[in-house]
Formats: sequence, C-alpha cells, structure tokens
Amino acid sequence: MRLWELLWSVTPDPIPVRSVSTLECRNCGAGAPVDEHFCPQCDRILALGRYGDYFSFFGLPRRLGIDRQDLEQRFRDLSRRFHPDFFYNAPPAERLASLERSSYLNDAYRVLRDPAARIEHLLAIEGLPPVKHEGGDPSTSSGQGVKVPPALLEEVFALNEELDDIRELRESGGDRAQIAARLARARTPIERKRDEHEQCIQELSEQWDRQDGAPPAERRATLDALREQLLERTYINNLLAAVDREAASLGNL
Amino acid sequence: MAYSDKVIDHYENPRNVGSLPKGDTNVGTGLVGAPECGDVMKLQVKVNPDTGVIDDAKFKTFGCGSAIASSSLATEWLKGKTVDEALAIKNTDIVNELSLPPVKIHCSVLAEDAIKAAIADYRKKQEEQKGAPVGAHAQPSA
Repeated sequence: MRLWELLWSVTPDPIPVRSVSTLECRNCGAGAPVDEHFCPQCDRILALGRYGDYFSFFGLPRRLGIDRQDLEQRFRDLSRRFHPDFFYNAPPAERLASLERSSYLNDAYRVLRDPAARIEHLLAIEGLPPVKHEGGDPSTSSGQGVKVPPALLEEVFALNEELDDIRELRESGGDRAQIAARLARARTPIERKRDEHEQCIQELSEQWDRQDGAPPAERRATLDALREQLLERTYINNLLAAVDREAASLGNL
Repeated sequence: MAYSDKVIDHYENPRNVGSLPKGDTNVGTGLVGAPECGDVMKLQVKVNPDTGVIDDAKFKTFGCGSAIASSSLATEWLKGKTVDEALAIKNTDIVNELSLPPVKIHCSVLAEDAIKAAIADYRKKQEEQKGAPVGAHAQPSA
C-alpha cells in the first residue's frame, strides 16, 4: 500500500468513544492495556484500538491543570516514536498504526493545549451534552436544557445595544474622539466580564482536580458549572469581537 | 450555505425593530438567548387589554441573519393576533416561511421562545396589576 492510501484511510474521529479495554498485538498476539502505544512483549507499534480519551493517550490523569511544558515534552516524545519515517519498511498494518497514532496525537495535542477545548473534551468524555451543536431537532429547545441566566442576557443585550449605538454614531459621522472615548468605556465592562469568567473557570478547574475521590454528585456539579461557564464564553467572545470590529472601523476613518 | 430570499429581505429590511416601554403593564417583554452561538433576542408585544389583541410588536436581535429574520417575521405575524393565537405560532411555521436550513432551525426556536416569554411576561404583569391596589408600586422607567 502506498503512503497516500494509508493516509486516506486515516479518518480523524476523536469522539464518540469506542471503548476497548485491551488491545491485542497483531504481531505476537500478546494483550496490552489500552493506553499502551507499543506492545509490551515485542515492542511493535499497536493499532489504535480506542478513540476518545486524549488525557489517557498522553498518559495523563483526567485533570484540567496541565503543565504546558510537560505536555509539549510528551507530544514531542510520542511524535518521534510514532513518526511514519521509522515505519517506512514496516508491514502495512504497522505503517497504518503509525499514521493513525500520529494523526490522533496531533488532534489530542491541539485539544489539550487549549484550556477551553480541554474542558469541552473533559465534559464530552464524562458524558455531558455538548456545548456546541449544529442544527439539530426542531423540537429540542435552543439551550439544550441549559438556560442562560436572565441577568447575563440582560447584561449582554445592554452591552450589544451600546455597541450598536456607537456604530450608528460612527456611521452618521459623529465626532471621532468622542466615539473612541465611548468605545473605550464600552470595552471596560466586557473585559471585566471576560476576566471574571477566566477566574471562575480557573477556580472550577482547580476544584475538579481536587475531586478525584469525591462523590459522583459533587464531581458532576463541578462539571455542570464548567459547562455553564463555557456557554457564557460564546457571548463574551462575540462581544469582544464586536468591540474589536468597531475599533477597527473607527481606526479606518 | 445560502440564505433564502425571504431571509435576506428580512435581514436587509427588518420590520418592527425597536422597543416598547418595558414598564407599561400592557407590554410584555421576552429576552432569550442561544448560548451555542451567542445570539440574544428581545421581542416585545403591546396588547390591548380589553380585546386581548396584539396592537404592536417590536424586536431587537443581536445574532445571525436567520435569527434577525426569524424575529422580524415573528413581529409581523404577531400584530393583529390575539394572545392565544400568538401562542399557537410554532417554530416550524417560521422554518417553512423562511426556508431555513437545518443548521439554522435553532434560530426559529429562539423566536418561538421569545414570543412565549413576551406573552408570559405580559400575563404576569396583568395578574400583578389585578392583585395589587392601584398605584401600589411605582412604574419602572422604560
């Protein structure tokens, strides 16, 4: 099989979970724990037997506090070990395994090094409904059971209205210095909100990391709170993007 | 994905943009949001308390074209309807009228939620007014 044919057959399909508790080495037939990348007996690369948990793929516990340098080091080590160049003369199954593992490793690294994506991944593998969903069933409610707190909606609406007023003022040729000052004032509460949000995420993440042996209900409550924070995130990001757009338009006058 | 002509029309010429006095007991306000996309939609109805007919409807939506079109269309439909008729409006009616693609169906759900929230707010205010003696509480400013 040619390399591109192998590549073609590698489909990135990180979630949902296909659960396999052990792997079997195609070379020597030995069983291996699912988190092993190489056969403990004959040291050949193992086919990617399961999808789903990026933490365990890196040999990490399901914790949100990740040392970036450590993660990068693990990524580099694994990249080197999986690298298709080392499997150039290997049997097709092993070449495929090296490609699958390399591809999966890249996905896992991209997700785990991004704190928000890391939380989304944790929520997914812990069985919570996704934060973002495209389309869907018309009978389901927009919030998928999670209601946005009314106070947040009020606040977001008011901030959006202020940005709208500023845009109208600019488009009708208002005084540039005045508009810039008003935009700066509009930015402050949004940035404060973003900072509070980051702080909250940080605290909940640390709480999760301390809850290893805690009762399931407590762990679930932390995850629910994290999910609610992620829902808020889109609003904050949209507002920040709107401020930046307005600032850019103002700069172009 | 292309927007239908009707969506574009509502997006470019939105009907009934604006707001009604929030403190008016004949006005119901619904504020709803779609957390997945960060949309926020405000829809208001002004009801004639004697006839139960919606005299006026306004909206303001910060979101995508489909969310704006859905709420714009909703306000058009609401005018002249009774409160009960308004509650019968389904998101699927909006989907059909605007030919919304599956990825935008949640925008129509948002509009339906907004109608329900606005009418619930109106009814709550009416109940409170009936229950409280005249002039018992100050009218909040709009």
